[in-house]
Amino acid sequence: MTLSKIKRCIALLMVMIGLFCLTPLNPAAGNDWDDILQRAKGQTVDWYMWGGFPSTNAYVNGFVAPAVKERYGITLRQVPITDIAEVISKLLVEKQAGKDTGGQADLLWINGENFRTAKRNDLLFGPFADLLPNQRLVDWSRPSVFNDFGEPVESLESPWGSAQVVMIYDNVRTPNPPRSMRDLLDWVRNHPGRFAYPAPPDFTGSVFVRHVFYHVSGDVGAWQGPMDESRYTKTAAESFRILRELAPSLWRGGKTYPENPERLSQLFADGEVDFAISYHPAEASKKISDGLYPGSVRTFVFEEGTISNTHFVAIPFNAEHKEGAMVVADFLLSPEAQLQKADPAVWGDFPAIDVKRLDPQWQARFADLPRGIATLPDDVLQSHQLPEPPSQILIRLEKDWVNQVLKRR
Amino acid sequence: MITAGLSENARTRTDPGFPVLTAQLAPALLVVLGLFGGGLFLGALQSLGYLPSVGMRVYSLKHFNNIIADPDFLKNLGLTFYISSISTGIAAVIGVLAAMAMTGYRTTRRVVNFVFQIPLTVPHLVIATAVIFMLSPSGLASRALQAIGLIDNPSQFPLMVNDSWGVGIIITYVWKEVPFITLMVLAVLNNQGTELLEAARTLHANRWQRFRFVVMPIIFPSLGAACLIVFAYTFGAFEVPYLLGQTYPMTMPVWAYRNFSDIDLMARPEGIATGLIIAVVVAVAIVLSQVLVQIARRRGVIL
Repeated sequence: MTLSKIKRCIALLMVMIGLFCLTPLNPAAGNDWDDILQRAKGQTVDWYMWGGFPSTNAYVNGFVAPAVKERYGITLRQVPITDIAEVISKLLVEKQAGKDTGGQADLLWINGENFRTAKRNDLLFGPFADLLPNQRLVDWSRPSVFNDFGEPVESLESPWGSAQVVMIYDNVRTPNPPRSMRDLLDWVRNHPGRFAYPAPPDFTGSVFVRHVFYHVSGDVGAWQGPMDESRYTKTAAESFRILRELAPSLWRGGKTYPENPERLSQLFADGEVDFAISYHPAEASKKISDGLYPGSVRTFVFEEGTISNTHFVAIPFNAEHKEGAMVVADFLLSPEAQLQKADPAVWGDFPAIDVKRLDPQWQARFADLPRGIATLPDDVLQSHQLPEPPSQILIRLEKDWVNQVLKRR
Repeated sequence: MITAGLSENARTRTDPGFPVLTAQLAPALLVVLGLFGGGLFLGALQSLGYLPSVGMRVYSLKHFNNIIADPDFLKNLGLTFYISSISTGIAAVIGVLAAMAMTGYRTTRRVVNFVFQIPLTVPHLVIATAVIFMLSPSGLASRALQAIGLIDNPSQFPLMVNDSWGVGIIITYVWKEVPFITLMVLAVLNNQGTELLEAARTLHANRWQRFRFVVMPIIFPSLGAACLIVFAYTFGAFEVPYLLGQTYPMTMPVWAYRNFSDIDLMARPEGIATGLIIAVVVAVAIVLSQVLVQIARRRGVIL
C-alpha cells in the first residue's frame, strides 16, 4: 500500500519534472537529466523487441549497444521476440501477481494495439518521453506521433522511427504492376494463384486488409474520430465480400495463408507469388543488397496512398532499470542515431525526428543519404501517406476477417 | 520410463516402505507437483474467469462453454485426433517392422541404436523447419524434380506443407517417433529371446501366424503403452502444426495459443480452457498407457 503510494508520488514528481523540462528557461531541468544519466550508469537494459528483421537487429547490436556502452556506461541487451503481445501478456500476469519491481523487460519496441492494451491496463511506466532532451527534435503536432493508432501517446512512449507500407514486385516478372488497390484486385483475379497476403492477425496481413477497407470506404479521414458503427458495419461487410470472392484467386486458392511477412517474402523470392508486402519502405533494397532478391525488384505505393505509422519505445511499469531505458530512448532520438538508422545500408528506417529542426549541417547529412535502388524517394512516399485507423477498428477487422474470410461464416 | 528400470530382481528386493520412498522421491515430486500442478491450478482459475488485473473476478464455466459451443471446436479437435492417430499408427507399423527385423542381430545393434538416436535428439522445431525447406512447393525436393525434368513448375509438386491433410506434420512426427517405438518394442523382443518363435516354426506356423500368435501378444502391452505416449505427445504439441499446418482449421494447441495471445485479453481464459481440455485428453492417454504397463507386468513381460 505504502509502496504504491510512494510510487504514485514518484510518478507525480516525474510529471512535474516533465513539466519543468518543457519550460525552456528552467535551470533545474538539465540537472535532473544529469541525475538520470548518473543513475543509468552501469545499468543493464534488456530491450524486448521483434527480432524478425536482421538489419534492425544489426543496428541495435552493432551500433546502439556499443554507443550507449561507451557514452553512458549502459549495457544494452536485445531480447528478440516474435510478437510483443506475448510480453504484454506476461506483464499483465506480473501486474496481477503484484510483481511491481524487478521485471525482466526494461524497454519495449511497441505501437498500435499493443500500446493501447498496455496503456489501458497501466502496464507502462511514465509519462517519461517529455523528460528526454532530444524530444525537442520530434514534431508532436503530427497526427501519427500525437496519436498512436488513434490512442493518445501522452508521453508513455517515445518515438523511434516511422514506417510506410510499400508493395514489392519484380519488374522482370511484372513489368506493369497495378498502381491502385482497384487495379491490384483485378490483377489478382486475372492471375490466379500468384498473390498472397499473410493471415491477420499478423501485422502485415492486417494492414493489407485495412487497405482494402480504405479502398471500399473511399474516405480515409472519416475513420480518425469516434467510430460510426453503422458505417463500419457496411464498409467492413463490403470489404470482406471482396476478400471472400478474391480467395479462390489467391496463392493455394486461399485455403491457407502465409503466417507472416517473412514467409510471404520467401514465397516471392522463390517465385511462388509475384508480390510481397512490406511495412518498411527500404526493406526491398536491403534484401537486394543481401542477395535475397534479384536486382530487378522494385517497390511502389498505391495512387491513393498507403498506410504509415510511427513506432515507439516504452518502459514497463516494473522495469528494473528505468533510468537506463530512458537514456537509451533518448539516444535513439539523437541526430546521429537517427541518421545511422536511416542509412539504407544499415536499416533505412524513416526518421522519427523532424529533420527540419536540425541545424543545416545535419540536414545536409540526411539529404545526402544514399538511397537503395528499390526504395522510393521521400517525397513520393510522403505525398502518399494514409493514417492508421484507431486500433478498435483494426482489432474488429482482424477478428471479422478470421470469421468472414478465413472461416466463411 | 521409470518402469523400464525395474527388473525381476528389483521387485523381489525388500520394499523400502512408503515414507522412505516418498522422502527419496521428494525432490522430483516437488518439481513435478509444484510446477505442473501449480500451473494447472492457476490455469484452471483463469479458465474459470478469474483474471483480476482486467477486472474479471467471477467464476463460471462460460469460457469452457464458449469453446465447446464454438463450431471450430469439433473441427479442430477432429483435426488434432486425425493427425495424432495417423502419425502414431504409421510410426507403430514402421516401428514394429523395424524392431522385428533387428531382433537377434546383436552386432548391428550398436550401429542401429546410434542411427535411431539421431531423430530422438533432434528437436521438433528443427525437423519441422527442415521439412519446409525440403518439401514445400519451392523446396529442395521440388527443385530437384524440376532440374531432372519430372515436373515443369513448383505448382505440380504435391502439397505437403500447410496442406489440408497435414502431410508435412505427419511426416515430421513419424520421423521423430519411429525410433522411440522401435526401441521400446525391440527391448521386449530381445528380452524374450527367439525360443518361442523357433517353437512356433517347428509347429509349422507360417510367417503371419508367428506374428499374430507369438510376437503380437508379447509386444502388445508395451507397444500400446509406447503408442499412447506418442499419441499424447503429438496431441499436445504446438510447434510442428504451427509451422506446417494450414491457417484454418488448426490443431487444439495452436488454437489455444491463438486465443491466449489474442490482443483481446478477454480471449485468454478461452485459450487456457482449450489448454486444459488438451491436458485432459493427454492425461487419459497416459493413464491408459500405465494400465497397459500393468497388464504387461502381470503377464510377466518386463518393460
